[in-house]
Amino acid sequence: MSEIHHDHNEHDHQHDEAELAAKKAARPKIEKNQANHWLSIDQYMQDPEFQKTVETEFMSSPLREDEASNPWARREFLKLMGASMALSTASCIRRPVQKIVPYNKQPEEVTFGVPNFYTSTFFDGQEGLGVLIKTREGRPIKLESLETEPLTQGGTSIRAQAHVLSLYDLDRLTAPKKNLFNEKRTNKDTISVSWENADTAIVEALKKGGVYILTGNIVSPSTQAVVKDFSEGFKATHVAWEVLANEDVRKGQKASYGTDVLPFYRFDKSKMTVSIDADFLGTWIAPTVFTRQFSKTRKDFANMSRMVAFDSNYSLTGANADIRVRIKPSQQLKVAVAIAQELIVKQGKSSYAGNGEIKNWLNSFGNAAEGLHIEPALLKEIVKDLWAAQGESLIVAGGLKTQTETSAALQAVVNLLNSALGNDGKTVQHRRSITSSGSHSEMAALITAMKDKKVKTLIIHGINPAFALPAKSEFKDHLKNVETVVYIGDRMNETAMWANYVLPENHSMENWGDAEMVSGVYSIQQPAIKPMYDTQSMQITLMNWCFQAKVGPKRIQEFESYYDYLRNFWKTDIFPKVGKGGNFEKSWQELLQSGSVGEVADSDSARSFSVSSVTDLKKPAVSDGWELVLYPTSQLGDGAGSQANIGWIHELPDPITRAVWDNYASISMAAAKKLNVKQNSVIEITVGKDKMELPVLIQPGLQDDVIAIAIGYGRTHVGSVGNGIGKNVYELAQLAANGQIVFAGSKVDVKATGKKYELAQTQTHHSMEGRQIVVEATLKEYQTKKDHIIHKHPIWSVWSGHQYNGHKWGMAIDLNSCTGCSACVVACQSENNIPVVGKKYVMQGREMQWLRIDRYYTGNPEDAHAVFQPVMCQHCDNAPCETVCPVLATVHSSEGLNEMVYNRCVGTRYCSNNCPYKVRRFNWFNYAKKIAAPANMALNPDVGVRVRGVMEKCTFCVQRIKDGKNKAKLENRPLKDGEIKTACQTACPTDGIVFGDMNDPNSQVSKMFKNERSYALLEEWHAAPSVRYQAKIRNNGKDQIAASGAHEGGH
Amino acid sequence: MMKRNQLILGDKTLKDITDDICQPVETLPGKGWVGMFLSAKTLLLFYIFVLGMIVANGMGLLGVNHPNGWGTMIITFVFWIGIGHAGTLISAILFLFRQKWRTSVARTAEAMTVFAVMTAGLFPLLHTGRPWLDFWLFPYPNQRGPLWVNFRSPLLWDVFAVSTYATVSMVFWYIGLVPDFATLKDRAKNKIRKTVYGVLSLGWRGTARNWSHYEMLYLILAGLSTPLVLSVHTIVSFDFAVASLPGWHTTIFPPYFVAGAIFSGFAMVVTLMTLVRIGFPQFKDYITLDHMEVMNKIIMTTGLMVGYAYASEFFVAWYSGNVYERYVFMSRAGLPGTTGDYAWSYWIMVTCNVIIPQIFWSKWARRNIAVMFVVSIFVNIGMWFERFVITITSLHADFLPSSWGNYAWSFWDGALLFGSFGMFLTLFLLYLRVFPAISIAEIKPMLPVGRDDHKGGH
Repeated sequence: MSEIHHDHNEHDHQHDEAELAAKKAARPKIEKNQANHWLSIDQYMQDPEFQKTVETEFMSSPLREDEASNPWARREFLKLMGASMALSTASCIRRPVQKIVPYNKQPEEVTFGVPNFYTSTFFDGQEGLGVLIKTREGRPIKLESLETEPLTQGGTSIRAQAHVLSLYDLDRLTAPKKNLFNEKRTNKDTISVSWENADTAIVEALKKGGVYILTGNIVSPSTQAVVKDFSEGFKATHVAWEVLANEDVRKGQKASYGTDVLPFYRFDKSKMTVSIDADFLGTWIAPTVFTRQFSKTRKDFANMSRMVAFDSNYSLTGANADIRVRIKPSQQLKVAVAIAQELIVKQGKSSYAGNGEIKNWLNSFGNAAEGLHIEPALLKEIVKDLWAAQGESLIVAGGLKTQTETSAALQAVVNLLNSALGNDGKTVQHRRSITSSGSHSEMAALITAMKDKKVKTLIIHGINPAFALPAKSEFKDHLKNVETVVYIGDRMNETAMWANYVLPENHSMENWGDAEMVSGVYSIQQPAIKPMYDTQSMQITLMNWCFQAKVGPKRIQEFESYYDYLRNFWKTDIFPKVGKGGNFEKSWQELLQSGSVGEVADSDSARSFSVSSVTDLKKPAVSDGWELVLYPTSQLGDGAGSQANIGWIHELPDPITRAVWDNYASISMAAAKKLNVKQNSVIEITVGKDKMELPVLIQPGLQDDVIAIAIGYGRTHVGSVGNGIGKNVYELAQLAANGQIVFAGSKVDVKATGKKYELAQTQTHHSMEGRQIVVEATLKEYQTKKDHIIHKHPIWSVWSGHQYNGHKWGMAIDLNSCTGCSACVVACQSENNIPVVGKKYVMQGREMQWLRIDRYYTGNPEDAHAVFQPVMCQHCDNAPCETVCPVLATVHSSEGLNEMVYNRCVGTRYCSNNCPYKVRRFNWFNYAKKIAAPANMALNPDVGVRVRGVMEKCTFCVQRIKDGKNKAKLENRPLKDGEIKTACQTACPTDGIVFGDMNDPNSQVSKMFKNERSYALLEEWHAAPSVRYQAKIRNNGKDQIAASGAHEGGH
Repeated sequence: MMKRNQLILGDKTLKDITDDICQPVETLPGKGWVGMFLSAKTLLLFYIFVLGMIVANGMGLLGVNHPNGWGTMIITFVFWIGIGHAGTLISAILFLFRQKWRTSVARTAEAMTVFAVMTAGLFPLLHTGRPWLDFWLFPYPNQRGPLWVNFRSPLLWDVFAVSTYATVSMVFWYIGLVPDFATLKDRAKNKIRKTVYGVLSLGWRGTARNWSHYEMLYLILAGLSTPLVLSVHTIVSFDFAVASLPGWHTTIFPPYFVAGAIFSGFAMVVTLMTLVRIGFPQFKDYITLDHMEVMNKIIMTTGLMVGYAYASEFFVAWYSGNVYERYVFMSRAGLPGTTGDYAWSYWIMVTCNVIIPQIFWSKWARRNIAVMFVVSIFVNIGMWFERFVITITSLHADFLPSSWGNYAWSFWDGALLFGSFGMFLTLFLLYLRVFPAISIAEIKPMLPVGRDDHKGGH
């Protein structure tokens, strides 16, 4: 009823009258008195009464002539009746009217149903990735990898894939806010404020001087320029700070070589890599780039690289290492020294063998290898390999786990080793370094300045120090001394809530930008959507202030938008550097299309190593007992930003522990025994003065003295999804005397509390039970036995099987490439509109991900190896699910796909029971309905959402298959191999997933299927899956994998 | 030749029999019945609420999950269907074998069958994700293509098997009731009663022609029901046996399920009959200790059969060399090297189904009402757990250990299981008051009239 208008406005009235007049004129006139035909005697007689009846007979005609004479005409009657009906039915519930509005003018570049892709850049504080943003009808719906990007060459990360959901985060700020404080700055009320008022007030404050601008690591050269211009204009001090700042590496470089750089490590050039707690495949610096580099060295078995990891938690790097040695943080330095002793002192190799100073210093440690879980023979072997691969080896140490009291010494010895092995300038590139800023010492200086009331105005951009700095650093306390705190960010987070002004920033997908991830390689960040709310970019905010105050260089005042500033910056600064200074527009267009300019250069040179950087260091005291390890996870990173409010990230099982929606204290089995605790028991951890209670997760393969806890949890002000998940263990980080923060190696007291807290894990059984599930062999074994590493069963069938005359889709998954990084899982979730169910339901075994990565441990649990196996619907030829569905809701396609017909499904779940791979997912509740606006905008319109009560599963991205086939058909050509790529495939940074047509003998997938490492999961069950795996090869120099997943028992 | 004890005690005349059996139907219920009925009805209302909640909110309320796609609903479905078997076995197979002792218990056992099948029948319908679309499980001409059902799916066979069984057992039961309805009509003292039983008795006049037709029809229906006794649970077992899951995929399932069904059915008959004997003391003359003893013998025999099946499953799992199946069975029994998460349920099952019924080797126990009542309850518990063991232990740890996971038992699972007893007991209690609980027409020929050893005069 609400649609009936009771009052026309004036305009409508006039319009109506004019229309009426026109209609009247057009109406054929009744020739009243000239009738040749008569209907009745009355008419014939032209009886006046009858005339009147005729005139009024069709009283309700809208075109009735004497409308004005009758005040109760039809329209009025309808209006009144409508009004009364509206009144009488107002209290009733009607189905809501849903209006759809087509484009009034369709944008030229938008075709309905056809996605548009824009090159852009994703940056998460540490790693920048060139990406493609896929938009549909103007809405970004997915991030795709960008193969033209020189660093990753395709492949994305977990957070890049989940980034699209942060655009549609319900808890983003939609307009500027002002926090009102009382005298003590404790009591707070938040009000809205206009941009104009906020700008005016802030500019007034800025003019007073004492301006500090605190940002994260800025990899965008143009943003750096804006900040520099701003700082110049307002005489501001720029402080950069990141939790995962890699300051230790930069400082180590500075001490050893005199240059403060974060080198660009070249894992693709390393044949022998030793990582000392640098989780370069999971969390360290640029894991996606490094994963790509690392995987390249693993594909050619004649020249397969070897990787040794000394691991103090169970990291992805440790899981993928050929040889993993468990250590505790205080042993990191000992490991480095032990290698150096073996190389320089015992084996007398390298130019430092004759250096007495170094020898003496190394000898001062005694036998450093003592007490490590490493046999002398193995150490010798490692050093032998390192020396054999001079200039093609690499030793890395870094990350949060190495931020110990002795981090400087560790870096120095690592630098010594890289120089001794001739790696500097080859696998450790310093001319082309990774853009990195952010320092704890600068932050400490800022806190002191705040304490001394030198800071009058503090502008904080994006980062969240109030959350990520322990309370003892007193950041929050001294923030109260600052007159005006301005926070530029996307939400009212733990830091923003203490700011006077909170200015909402555009999401990166709404914003122009650029990035220089590695010096000389520039990429562009294009926006893919107009800002959804009343937000603006941080750059234009700074530019506005400079413009209003009339300060700073000309360029910051001159340009009306950041876009103009950026273009100008590229014109004057970047293009000339990469030799594209000529035609700007042409270069610009090319840039927008390819996404980046510049290339990774290989030429570099060795620097001279300053011996004193090592010999000046004192031998640290040996420690005993429990040690703390705080580590970032590959899903959350530092957890201080908006990623902590994304359901996909929290529900993504941790690549190693398979736990979701929590952090926990990981301890070894022996440690659990010692403490007399079990999984889910709560323990109390005391570090210095800090106490915290955390549930236990028993982690095979941990050093027995280690308590490892993930950072980034325990957010209180991130939003409705992320608040209150886990505990904030930043509080357990300790402050070192030199202003550094110690994240690992602190002494810990632990005691059991007797309490329980249940953790949710998507995988609770970790052994393969001797079944042939993940086939793993050592390189030696593989080279001698070839395809005999796989136990093959004689298989025969009485049935001839399906005939596939056109395409026959298949997928090959190379377990040797897969690092378990899990980007594919989130890509699948994004592509296929897979709901998130929450911790409670994960505990009940109801997670919905179509693609899961199984992680099994092999070998002795004390030193467990981990193997990974992505499992999705195997699209069996003899699909067990198809025969048992009573309503034919899951059927076989002519191209070998196992198709799920959601509309037909009644939900008996028989298919899931009968699936040997357990890849089917059931909608236990109406999950799709719970996708609240605006997150529904992230849904992929090519894939339906599923209602409650139906089964769903991997479709091999059937929408992409259709898309590819349609494209080929429109262009009247056969489909090319590799043209169709599934979502998991494009996300994979290792090319571990290959999809294609098995009926084409030359397709990549057909070739991989013929590979001697190729096998099908549960092959002897003869479901004849269309997915085949390639066995994992470990280059650990041994003849055999200890207690591997090889087949046991008869058949 | 061994001489049997008399089937009817207490020197009854024909009138005594009619009076005794009609008494519960023709008098107002006692306090005991009303109390039991009100409790059962409350439980039924609660059950309706539980089912309503599950239909309204989704299967997620129950503990079903990945990998356990089936749970309490299917377990309890098989449990009730199994219970239904004793009725048809007693009324049809024992009828064909001329086992005269069946007469006293046949009517009530059949009623139990009908109510058990009704209770069971709800589960497969409501356990689907979208129960409002259950009619898609039936092959009927439609406008959707036409879309046909999948005749290869055991679930579809189930639909036919259970619906056929329900229909035939209900008709069989009703046909047997017709002469007794006529008796009730003739004895009725008010008009409503007369009309209702008159309609129900389908115009039965007790003529020779009536009897001739009746006997023939009864024989035919008994012949029809007999294969159903074997087929229904065979087909229900196909739901499991035809699937490829270790622990399900075994050829022993059909006979094993049928034996188990008879086992549990007789246990339920014993449970109910002991209660009937207590509630209506006059029935003690008809349902004698001899009757109970025979049924206890059957319980012990079928108990040994299921025990044999349990053992042979283990043997086959070992003998097959199939690692998956071996693991499932070792895990069931909680053997070392396995998770053994559900070993407790397995040992409850073995205790209740194999060990406890061994007490019936003793004649004293076979003839002791208290003992047999307790044993029958244990057997019922054990047989529910047997289905739990089959369903959950096989599902929870199948091929890929990564997917292993335990059933997430919730409040609603328990509510559902107990609520189903509310439905069954309500129907059963109503039956006791409105239908003659023993066949009057059939029991009368059991009188020892004209036998040599009959003491009384003629």
